[in-house]
This record gives sequence, C-alpha cells and structure tokens, in this order.
Amino acid sequence: MAYENLAFLIPLLPALAFVITFFVGKKTPYGGGLIPIFAIAASFLISLLITIGLLQNPDQVISQSYHWFAIFNLGILIDPLAAVMLTMVTFVSLLIHIYSVGYMSHDPAKSRYFAETSLFTASMLSLILSDNILQLFISWELVGLCSYLLIGFWYQKPSAASAAKKAFLTTRIGDVMFLAGIIVLFADLFKLVNGSIPDGVYLLRFDEIFSYIPEISAMNATFLGFEVSHLTIITLLFFGGAVGKSGQFPLHVWLPDAMEGPTTVSALIHAATMVTAGVYLVARTFPMFIAAPQSLIIVAYVGAFTALFAATMAIVMNDLKRVLAYSTISQLGYMMLGLGMGAVIGAEAVGVSIFHLISHAFFKALLFLCAGSVIHAVGTHDMRELGGVAKVMPITAATMVAASLALAGFGIPGTSIGSTGFFSKDPIIENAYLFGEHAGNWFPYLFAIVAALLTSLYIFRLLFMTFAGKPRTNYGGHESPASMTVPLSILGILALVFGAIVVEPFNKFVSSTFVNNFVNMDIPALAEVGNYELVAHAGHEPLLILWMPVIVAIVGLLIAFVIYYQKAIDMSRFVSKDNSVYKLLYNRYYQNEIFTQLFAVKFVYEGLAMAGYHIDRFIDGIVNVISYLAIEAGDSFRKIQTGVIQQYSVAVIMGVSLLVILIKLVMEVF
Amino acid sequence: MLPVLSLIVLIPLLFSAFAFLTKKREQARVVALMGTLITLILTLYMYFSFDSSSAAMQFEELASWIPSLGINYHLGVDGVSMPLILLNAIVIPLLILFTWDDVRSTPNRFYGLILAMQGAVIGVFISLDFFLFYVFWELTLIPLFFMVNIWGGPNKRHASIKFFIYTHVASLVMLLGIFGLYFAAWDQTGVANMGIAHLMSQFPMIGSGIARDAIFLALLFGFLVKLPIVPFHSWLPDAYAEAPTAGSVLFILLKIAGYGIFRVILPMLPATGSPDMMITILGLLGSVSIVYGAFLALSQKDLKRMVAYSSVSHMGFVALGAAGLVTLSISGAMFQQFSHGLILSIMFMSVGVIQASTGTRNINDLGGLATKMPKLAVIMMLAFMASLGLPGLTGFIAEFMVFTFSYVNVPTFVILALFGVVITAGYHLWAMQRTMFGVYNGKIGEVLDLSNVQTFSMAVIALLVLYFGLNPSPVLDMMITGSNEIVSLMAAMGV
Repeated sequence: MAYENLAFLIPLLPALAFVITFFVGKKTPYGGGLIPIFAIAASFLISLLITIGLLQNPDQVISQSYHWFAIFNLGILIDPLAAVMLTMVTFVSLLIHIYSVGYMSHDPAKSRYFAETSLFTASMLSLILSDNILQLFISWELVGLCSYLLIGFWYQKPSAASAAKKAFLTTRIGDVMFLAGIIVLFADLFKLVNGSIPDGVYLLRFDEIFSYIPEISAMNATFLGFEVSHLTIITLLFFGGAVGKSGQFPLHVWLPDAMEGPTTVSALIHAATMVTAGVYLVARTFPMFIAAPQSLIIVAYVGAFTALFAATMAIVMNDLKRVLAYSTISQLGYMMLGLGMGAVIGAEAVGVSIFHLISHAFFKALLFLCAGSVIHAVGTHDMRELGGVAKVMPITAATMVAASLALAGFGIPGTSIGSTGFFSKDPIIENAYLFGEHAGNWFPYLFAIVAALLTSLYIFRLLFMTFAGKPRTNYGGHESPASMTVPLSILGILALVFGAIVVEPFNKFVSSTFVNNFVNMDIPALAEVGNYELVAHAGHEPLLILWMPVIVAIVGLLIAFVIYYQKAIDMSRFVSKDNSVYKLLYNRYYQNEIFTQLFAVKFVYEGLAMAGYHIDRFIDGIVNVISYLAIEAGDSFRKIQTGVIQQYSVAVIMGVSLLVILIKLVMEVF
Repeated sequence: MLPVLSLIVLIPLLFSAFAFLTKKREQARVVALMGTLITLILTLYMYFSFDSSSAAMQFEELASWIPSLGINYHLGVDGVSMPLILLNAIVIPLLILFTWDDVRSTPNRFYGLILAMQGAVIGVFISLDFFLFYVFWELTLIPLFFMVNIWGGPNKRHASIKFFIYTHVASLVMLLGIFGLYFAAWDQTGVANMGIAHLMSQFPMIGSGIARDAIFLALLFGFLVKLPIVPFHSWLPDAYAEAPTAGSVLFILLKIAGYGIFRVILPMLPATGSPDMMITILGLLGSVSIVYGAFLALSQKDLKRMVAYSSVSHMGFVALGAAGLVTLSISGAMFQQFSHGLILSIMFMSVGVIQASTGTRNINDLGGLATKMPKLAVIMMLAFMASLGLPGLTGFIAEFMVFTFSYVNVPTFVILALFGVVITAGYHLWAMQRTMFGVYNGKIGEVLDLSNVQTFSMAVIALLVLYFGLNPSPVLDMMITGSNEIVSLMAAMGV
C-alpha cells in the first residue's frame, strides 16, 4: 500500500492551504477558494483509498509515531474508525467548500474565511488520526480556536463577537475537564511504570493506555465517601470534554448562538468538524469506557436527556437556523446514547453510533446548506416571513425534503427500504430498548422515542412553514447557482440511499476497530473488568418495537401537517406570552439567564473577580501602611542628618561592626 | 577561546555608555541597535555551539577577584541559563526596533538604560559567584527605576519608588540569607568562598534546622517578591502599568527571580529543616497566584493592568512547576519563563500601540479596532491565544508540562490551578471582544495600524512563539538537561 505513506498529507494539505490562503488568497481567483478545494479534494482521495484498502484488509492499520518533545510523540493511527471519519469529514468539508465559493462570493473578507475553514478542517483531520491523547487534545483545542474565529467571522457585529466568545468559553469548561482527565491518566500511568519511562515508549499513545486498563481500573479513590475507580474518574472527565464540544446538556448553550457566523460555517460545525469531535473522543477511547460501566451509563443518560431536551426547544423556534441548531444537539444526544448502549452490546455500539454520526453529517450539512440557499436568496431566516419557497427554489426544496425524511428516520423496518437516518437512528433506539429489557431501566428508551416524535414534528413544521403555502412577505428570490445546488443534490441523494446500501458492512467494519485490530481489545474481558456482562444483539425484538420509531415519526409528520399546512388547529392560544409552557420553551428554559447572567456575569465577574479586586486593594493598602510608617520613622531619624562627615563615618563603622557581631552571634547560637 | 560570556555582558554595558554620550535620537538608536546586534550574534554563536546534552557549565571563565573574601570572577552557562540569555538577546534588539520611530525626551538616556539593563540581566544569568550575582541583581533595579520614573505614565513617581523600595527590601533580605550561608560555610570549612555551587554544597552541613530554614526563607522571600507571587505582587501592577512600553517589556524580560528559584532554591530545598512545608509554600502560592491573578485580570478596566495581572498569573506556573520537583515539571516551569517572556512582550507592545494611536487604554472606551488595525489584530490575537494556553503556541507546552508533571507530587495544587484556566480564557477573550471586535468606536477618531518596523519586530516574536510552540525541543532539551542536574543535586542533598 503505497498511499499509506501519504497518510500524513491528509491533515497537512489543508493546513498548507490555510497558510497559502491566509497570505496570498486575495490575489487568487474566488478569493482563494480554490486552494482549500484542491487540498481537501486530495485529502479526500487519500482517505478514500486508505478506507478501501482497510475494507479489503482490516488488519492493515496504519500506525506511525514520531518523537515530538520530552516524552511525547506525534503520530498517525488510521484504523476503521478513523478511516471512515476521515473520509466523511474530507467529503463533507469538500462539498461545503465548493458551495462556499458561491455563497461567500460577495463577502469582502472571503480569503480570511477560506483560510480559517481550511485550518478548521486540518485540525479536525489531525484530531481524528491522532495516535495519542495529547495530539488529540491539541487538535481539539485548535478546532475550538477555529470555531471561535469563524463564529466571530463578522466580528464587527457585537452579537457575533459575543457568540464566538461564548462558544470558546463554554467548550473551554469541557476542555479543562478533558485536560484534567489526561493529567490524572498520565499520573496513573507514570505510577504504573514506576516513574521510569523507557526510550521510545510513549505513554499517552492509545495502545499503551489501553494496555493498562485493568491496572487503572483497580486503582481506587475515595470521593465524597464513595469508592470510585480511577478509570471511572478519567472516563467521566473525558466525557466532560465531550459534553462541551458535542453540545450535550448542560454545556450545549453555545451551539444555538454559534449560528452568528456564515451559514456554511454552521454546516461545518454541525456536520463535519466540531461537534462530532466529542462523540469521536468517546468512541476512540471506547475500551476505557467499556471497562468503566458507570461512566458508560452516565453517557447514555446524558445523551438520552439531551436528545429530548433539545427537541422540545426545537418545536417552538421561529428562526430557521435555530431549529436546526437544536436539532443538532438532539441528534448528538442520540449518538451519545448510542455509545452508552455499549453497556449492553459492547463494541457494536461504536459502529451504530458512528454510523449515525456520519449519516447525520450528510443530512445536517444538507439541511444547513439548504437553509443557506434560502437565506442567500431571500435574505431572511425568520420562518414567519417565509412560506412558499418551494415554488421559487425547487431544487433546494426537493433536497430539503430528502434531508427531512432522513432526519425524521422514515423507512420500512425489516426491509432495506429507508432513508439514511432510518438505518442509523433506529438501531440506537432499539438498543435502548434492549438496555431497558436488560437493565430494567426504561428512561433512555422513553426519552429516545419521545424525542423521535418531536424530531419529526419540528422538522416538518419547518418544512411546511418555509417551503409550503404562499409567501407571507414579499421576498423575491431565485434558485441558487450550480456551485450551490450540485453539492445539495449530492448530499440529498446520500441522505436518501446511503444508509440502505452500506449499513450492514459499515457497522461490522467500524465495530471491528476494537475487536481484531491494532490494540486487539478483548471487549467482553474488559466488561468483566467493569464487573458486568454483555448481551448479544439478538435483533428479534417484538414487531411493535421495530415499528415504533417509524410510527412516532409518522405521528409527528401528521401533527405538523394538520397544524402548519392545513392550519386546522389554531395555535395562537399556545403560541402566546401567557402560556407558561410556551414561554418556558421559547425562552429556552431560561438557560441564557442562568448561565450567562447569573453564573458568568453575576457570580464570576461581579462576585469573584470584584471580590478579588477589593482584596487586592487591601493587600496594596497594607504595603502602603508599612511604607507610611517607614516614612514617619524616617522623618524622626532625619534629625541625625547633621552633615558632619566624622559623625557619619563613626555610624558606618559601628553599623558594620554591629552587623558582623550579630551574624556571628546568630551562628554561635544555632 | 573568546571570553564570550564576559563579552555579552561588557558589550551592552559599553554600548550603554556610548549611547549616553550621543546627542541625537538617530545616533542613540543606531548605537543601541549595534550593541544589541553584536550581543545577539555572540549569543547565537554560543547557542549553536552549546552542548545541550551536557549538564556541566560551559564557556566557563574563572579569575580570582578578592581572594581574602573568597570572591571570584566566575562565569558559566548551562541549560538553566542559556535559554534565558537567548530570550534577552533576541527580544531586546527587536524592542529597540519597535521604539525606532518614537519621539521622546533624552533618547540617549533611554537607549543607554535599555542596554545597561540587558548587560545586568545577562550578568545575573551567567554569574556563578554569589557576590557577582548580587551585584548584577541589584544593578537591574537602576535602569528599571529610571525607565518608569522618567518616561512613565501620570503616576510614575509613586510606581517607580514603590517598585524600587519594595523589591530592594526583598533583595536585602535575600542578601542576609546569602551572608548567613557564606559565614556558616566559612565557619564550617575555614575557607571563605562565595561560589554558588560551593555554598550550595555546604548548606546541608549547617547543624541547626532552624538556621537552615531561616537562610532558605530569606533567599526564597527575595525571589518570590521579584517573581512576583501573591501576596507580594502589589508593586507589579503599578510598575508594569506606569512604565513606558519598552519598560514593561524590560520588566517581562527580567526573568532573574525564576532563575534564582531554579539555581538556588530548588537544590537547597530538600536540605531545609522542613522540606514538606517549603514545597507546600511554593506550590500553594503558585496555584493561588494562577487563580488570583486570573480573577484580578478579569476585574481590570485598564488593558495594561489586565496584562500586568496576567503576568502574575503566569508566574504562578513557575512556582507550581518548581514545587512539582520532578525533572519535567521543573523543565515546564523553565519553559514557562521563556514562553512568557516572548508572549508578554508582544502583549505589552500591542497595548503600547493601542495607547499611542487611540490615546487610551481603558477597555470600555475602545472597540472595533480590528477594522482599522488589521495587522495589530492578527498579531495581538496570536499573543492572546498563546497567553491563554492555546496548543501550537509556547504557552501550552509550558502549562501542560507544569500541570501534568506537577500532579505527580502536588495534585491538590494542580487541581486548584486548573480552575484558573477557564478564567484565563475568559479575560483574554473578553478583552479581545471589547477592544478589537464589535462596532468601531467613533469617538476614538482616526487611528494608524502598525508601522513597518513595529510589524517586523512583533511578527518576529510571534513567529518564535509559534515555532517554539510547535517544536519546543531546541530550548526544551537543554532545560531538561538542566532540570535533571537540579534534581540530582536535590537527591544528593536529601537528608
């Protein structure tokens, strides 16, 4: 495999594209748009070839390590998990870049845009192919930086500058937890090798980390009176990082605001380059989670709760992009839930969850690009001002329908007919059912099912309000240029057929990451480390259970149809300032008030920082009092300033002798 | 062999004298640039012929000076001092370029003081004799005092005197510690010797634990005030904020206190009467400084004071890494000194440019500068990101090493310090948002972006921040060798 040696180019080419576009992008055609397109296309080709090679021979994992500094390395690890992610990210990013050439054509700062999106892609690719946790963390932070720069792309807008800061700070809370996890992990590994690391061994490489799982699991710490395994602590801290990056409750607050950037940036963030990082982190370190079942179950609960919580807000938003933002949060919740189900089905959970990640990447990128197409053409993203867009923009509308069907998960169970979302989301819900059966805990399943109903409701509400009926305002508009509609169509086809074609081989391929490759993890044995056992995924749930997700999706569609298309039910009673449920949802459970106003402004800034300010005044005051006393003393000593040299020299001699005697005395005493 | 160490101290001092004698700004700045460039060339020669795998003193020079008191003219560099000399030699010529077009009173004195400062600081780093060390140490006070006192802001008199007296008192306490050590060793061996290595090796032989603690604490106090560490930091915000930009940068390059901790404090620590308590003092004050400095920075309305407090926060890492007591945590602390010198230089230069072009440093009066000053926006963003610890830039390497390796020995303090990380990100981003982003504040009037020399000098430092962030080994490897030597000295001292 000759292209194995090209693996390092996958992140490097977009990184070079960043440098070139940043410095000379303005002088090239399309404001430098072509440079990242070529670079990412090349990365995509290499990723695709590597993936095909791996498919034929799943043991040919690419693993390369180079010394970096001190005891750390930089390296490349491309196993099935990384390979499919690389292919998806390069592919989606490529389409978004092609689309951006048209979308950003009027923006004077487009070369800065293309430079930053290249770096964004490069960081994400480097994150995916890291062979050690430090490099993953570094790329993780660079992804955060790029999202900051891109959300605040129109920095002249105060709301954009503020949203960018909010995104960076909120995810930073997660990052610190992730960092703490790495620190604790390293300290444990350091202890396990007795403080001496042989040359050429890099403790933070995934294979090294995984080989110490049983030992780390055996280390215990007492925390609030509970005996907790170090492995549980470490995995929960990692998950804390994932909660920030992947918009899980309660650190999801940055994601809806993140749409202040160009819509294409939202597409990148929501589909390819940012929010998936957290899911990927959990998947990448999955053997650790398997051996720490408490963490896995927390992952599942947080995921299920987030899926439902975000969906409730999505049904009342009037902003096109905001609906999609909450939808992303909700879908990320499904992915986390999918990973958490590893507690019953083992490594297969990775395949299921990553498949949903990739299928979501396709249809969510599509949804955002469609929204972008609409916004580009009509200039508003308030759905109340839209309506009837389908007549003006038929291609956009058709692809939007495809994406919506995928998001809602339409398909026929038991056959190979269905949208991509059907094949990716339903297995997660089925696994949640299995979990309920096995563990006797039905909350994840219940949450997932209700969220599926709401998903269908909010997306068809969006569809009917925006594309159906008659225009509510006079917005004009036209279909977007081919550079925008071609990527839409490609993604539209993928949203419809990708799942049916690849689901079976895909899940097997990705799940095999931890079974027969690279680290050769014995997943059932790791489950034993965690003191529980896995059940085989039987796949013979009752028919009703298999049909349940589709049934609720149809119900959601019907409700949306009746309310927003036929307008058979008057919603004005619900949609009013007096309805407390509506108010609660519309104000997003007052999270902004709680997080931003109460926590950030009142507690951290006005409370802690200002308290510090006064404490510092006090410390400075003490210094000033001491100096004042010294000045007073100096004033009284001034009387001995006689100006007579002889008196001075006597004083000097006496002083020096006194000092010497004093020091000698001190020495004698001790 | 060229006495290169003597030269890198003498040349700045000599050119300092030349600069004082010039009559015009144009002459003074050329003399200053020449002097610092020669120093830079010599330093680069030293750096490239430096053997970073050897723990021994290199380029050593030894001559008897005052034999009766055992004072020698003894110079040498190792992995602890070499990177700091490099830092000074690189940044100061760039600082002179940065001020190239500035018009100010008595430029001959201005450039003379910068050069004197360079000679004195390098002198501290290469002295292997305590007497010499102390002379250079005190010599650094004078240029800084006049820098603030002559060209400082409205409150310059108060700030300069406060700085001078505060740190001078601390230095005197340190001097008492040195005397104690010197006389005790004289008593034990019957030979007078001011050599740092000699006195270190005699320290554990002092019979009384209290005496050892007293000597140690006296030295520690001197270093901690200069570093500075909370609660002995209150001279810093005034001095840094009132100083002219060049003065603030010189303050930043004054890495002698951290150096003293590595060179003197750490090797002595295991031999004190109560090493655990000393580690606790160092680690606790370090992590408190990190968090406290971050909160204080968040509360500032003056951009320069904010940067000054961020410096307090960053210096906490030096103390925390030192308290970690393992080779790599100490190397991380050393790297923090190097990294901080580069990053904060750009930050103070950025603030200086903003003040010069808008006439204010008040964060609330600024806003939207990025549209008018795109070059400054890019460089300042890089410095701010480096300062908040973004990977790929030097700050991250230092902070990551300090956190990770200190955790092995002082986990509680690391966890405490981690709380500062989010606050640190907070004040940096908030300040960026309110000064550079948003709507351009029309009240400011017309502003000019960086001039070409300013762009050049700031961009070079920014590129170094990036380069050493991606590839720290060229300086980190020698720091690791140096820290290894410190750790083995500590092991030898353990009683």
